[in-house]
Parts: sequence; structure tokens; C-alpha cells
Amino acid sequence: MLASVTKPIFRAQLSSKQSNGHFAFVPQIRKLVFEYSQNWPSSTNTRTYLRNNLQNLARANPHVEVVVRQRNNRQPIIRGFYLNNNEKVIPLNGFEVTGIEKKVQLLLDSSGAKIKSLKRRTVESATESARGIWSGLHDIPFQI
Amino acid sequence: MGHAQRRFVSTATKLVSVPLSSLRSFPPKEALASRSSSFSPEAWAALQPPPPSALSALSHRIGLGAVLQIPELEQACTHPSVLPLFTRRHPNQKPPPANENLSTLGNALLGLFASEFVAASYPHLPTRVVKAAVSAYVGPNTCANVAKEVGAAPLLRWHRTPSTPLKPAVLHHDALSSIPRSLVALIYQRRSLSFARKFTHQFFLSREVDLRKMLKFRDPKVALAETVAKFGREKPISRLLKETGRFSNSPVFVVGVYSGTEELGEGFGSSLKMAEYRAAEDALHRTFPDVDGDIFTIGGEVEYTPGEIGTTEIRLGSAGRSSIISPSPLSIVSPESH
Repeated sequence: MLASVTKPIFRAQLSSKQSNGHFAFVPQIRKLVFEYSQNWPSSTNTRTYLRNNLQNLARANPHVEVVVRQRNNRQPIIRGFYLNNNEKVIPLNGFEVTGIEKKVQLLLDSSGAKIKSLKRRTVESATESARGIWSGLHDIPFQI
Repeated sequence: MGHAQRRFVSTATKLVSVPLSSLRSFPPKEALASRSSSFSPEAWAALQPPPPSALSALSHRIGLGAVLQIPELEQACTHPSVLPLFTRRHPNQKPPPANENLSTLGNALLGLFASEFVAASYPHLPTRVVKAAVSAYVGPNTCANVAKEVGAAPLLRWHRTPSTPLKPAVLHHDALSSIPRSLVALIYQRRSLSFARKFTHQFFLSREVDLRKMLKFRDPKVALAETVAKFGREKPISRLLKETGRFSNSPVFVVGVYSGTEELGEGFGSSLKMAEYRAAEDALHRTFPDVDGDIFTIGGEVEYTPGEIGTTEIRLGSAGRSSIISPSPLSIVSPESH
């Protein structure tokens, strides 16, 4: 029933798991692409942003590759490319320059992971729960 | 994501994609000039250097923006498998520098730092487990994963080479693993050995490796009984600590193994035997303690005195043959048949 030897370990197949941030943090955004139109008025604020704020942004975030593309007869767009091969696209029409700054910061802070909604049907009951409320921070069951 | 989508993504990431922002003119003049089928777009794409902005972004992402320059980063991201392709297409041009030597040097440095770390953190580990741990920390799989996680995969220049009688095959995995090794070598050359060691510690030795999977025993209960007897303690007895769900389809038993009143190890399982086995394994794993804290500063630098080689305290199951693949009985040709 017992094996004569244990299962052999093939060293070339061994690997380790990432722990980003435990020692060094690698920001997950790789490239930021701004696409604007030269002729349409919806790109006006985007063009203002690119003229005034873009260089400071690129200097403050040297880990991001910043690309500007002219794409005529389209709405302005910002695209973020992430290390997990995901892409996030945000349209910039309707935003002021401060709004564009916020969207840029959103892309810079994101990890590129898919956003999973935590919205669920909450339990609504007039009676107390039978097994009590779970708490990871309390020794005895948590009482309201 | 389904299986088909996952395969598509993994294939797409291995294909070379050239960012248009880095090209002066597109389509390339060679494609327009030669009307015959001598122009291969895949070969052309494989030879394009990554844009300097991408290389600069990579160096800043790993925190070495001030240390590494763009030309040497380009060298670190060029695998030698691309050189025959280059000489075939541009026979009169000087080929770009490749990362073969850097990769070898970096590999040696990584092995040095990883074995120092493992041996210092776990002083009493058996040698084959130390070797397995070093492979887990800085081996080929880990190096390829680090390259992907740091964003160096789109910057790699390589060419898929089938295996020849003289050289093994070059796959995406092998080409990727050369990048982190080359980076470590570059850091050693540009700064110092201690700087390279700090970089290795932050990017390789901080990763999660479970050593318990490498410490396996043929019969942990017997091994534990022998070890306990050797140290002159009371016979190990396993006691059921907690249980739930007996006779259901998902029982959980928590068993502790005791020598007298002292608990040696604890294990859980879906059967009593499984929990007892795990408890014995846990007790044996605790005989290899680790050094808490930063091993580089804890005691200061002292003169190294090697330990005496003696018989092992605990009889392990895998008796040094972990790297050998034993053939199945059917494949062994007996001498009598000839």
C-alpha cells in the first residue's frame, strides 16, 4: 500500500508565486494612449489637457509609456494597457480638464483586473439569525 | 474565460506586435519593394527593436530608472535565437548585441544569492530540498513568470527554434527567462554585488515558496516515532482534537500528535487516518526550523564554519533520486530477450 519511494520532484517544473508589494511594488499599468480628433469640438478639452498637463503627467509617472494619437472624426478616448494583458478604454467627451485628470488617475491606479460587482440581494429578516453573525475579529460570537 | 479564449490570449501574447508609434514608416519599404513572396512579415516583426520609451518604462517599473541605460536594456531583451534571423535578412549589417553572456552571469548570481538565502534561513534542511528550493526561487519557470509580471514580454526579441542534435529547442518560456537573469547581471556590472543581492531579494526571494511540499516522507508516523525515540522522549500518540461532519460527505477531523503532554504537530483531514498522517508530517516539518527576520542583518557577518556531515536524523522517502525519471517496467528491455 505504501510507495517504496515518494513521488519525485522535478526541479525544472518548480516555481514560486508572486507577492507584489511585500518588498518591491511593480505598478500594473504599462502604457497610456490618448486618442484625440483635430477637427471635432468634443476633443477640445482633451487637446487642452494634452497641451498643458501631459508632459507633467509623463514626468511624474516614468513607469508608464505615454502615447498620443491623432484620430480624426472620432470621440476622444484614453486607453490603458496593463501587465495582465487587459485593456481599459474610457471615452473623454463631456469632461472638463479636471474630469480628464480624474479619469487618467483612475487608469493609473487600476490593476487591470476585471471589476467584480459585490452587489447581492441582502438578507432581510425580522427574526435573529440562528447561528449568530460571523466575525473574524471577535473571540465570542458577535452580539448586536 | 473559456478554454478557447484562454488559448487565443496565450497565443496572441506570444506573437510579436510592433507598436506603430515606434516606426518611422509603415508599411516597411522592404515589403513594398519586393513584390515576390521573399518578404516575411513575421520575421520582420521579430527583428524590430522595442521602442526606447517602453524600455525606459520597464526600468522605472522595477525601480532601476537611474541605474540602467536604454542600449543595455535592449541587449538584455534580445535573445541570441534572433541573430541567425538577422544575419539572413541583413547580411551586411552588424548584428545587435544579445543577452547570452549576461544571462549566464545573471543565472550564476541568482543561484548564489538563492542558495545563501535558503541555507541561512533553514539551517538543517536536507541538501536535495535546498536544491529544490533554489530551483523554486530562481529556476527557469520563476524567471519566465517574473519577466511576464514585470512587463518585459512585449519587449523580448526572440525566434522559436526547433531542437537540433547539438542544441535544445528555444521556446517562449526559455527566451523570457533570459531577461531577468540579464537584468541581475547588468545590475551587478553597473553597481555592486550587494546591490544585486538586494534586487534579487526583492524580486525573487520575496516570492511565495511552500517548502513543506518538498519535504516528503515515505511513512511520516514511523519516521516521527523513530525521531522521538532518538531524542529520548515519550512515544508519540495522536489524539482527536476537533471533528465535524462525521458520516456526512464532507467531514473534517483535526488531530494532534503528542509526546506526553507536549504537542508535536497538528493536522486536519477528511478522514481520521488522513488527519493523523498530516499531523505526523507537520511534526516532522517543525524539526526544520527557520530563522526569523532578515538573515542578512540578524547576526552580522561571521566566519563561515561548515557543519559536520553525518547521518541524517530523519529517514526521508525520496533517497536522492528526485531528478531521475525511472522508466516504467514495460520499457526496460531485459538482457535475456537478446
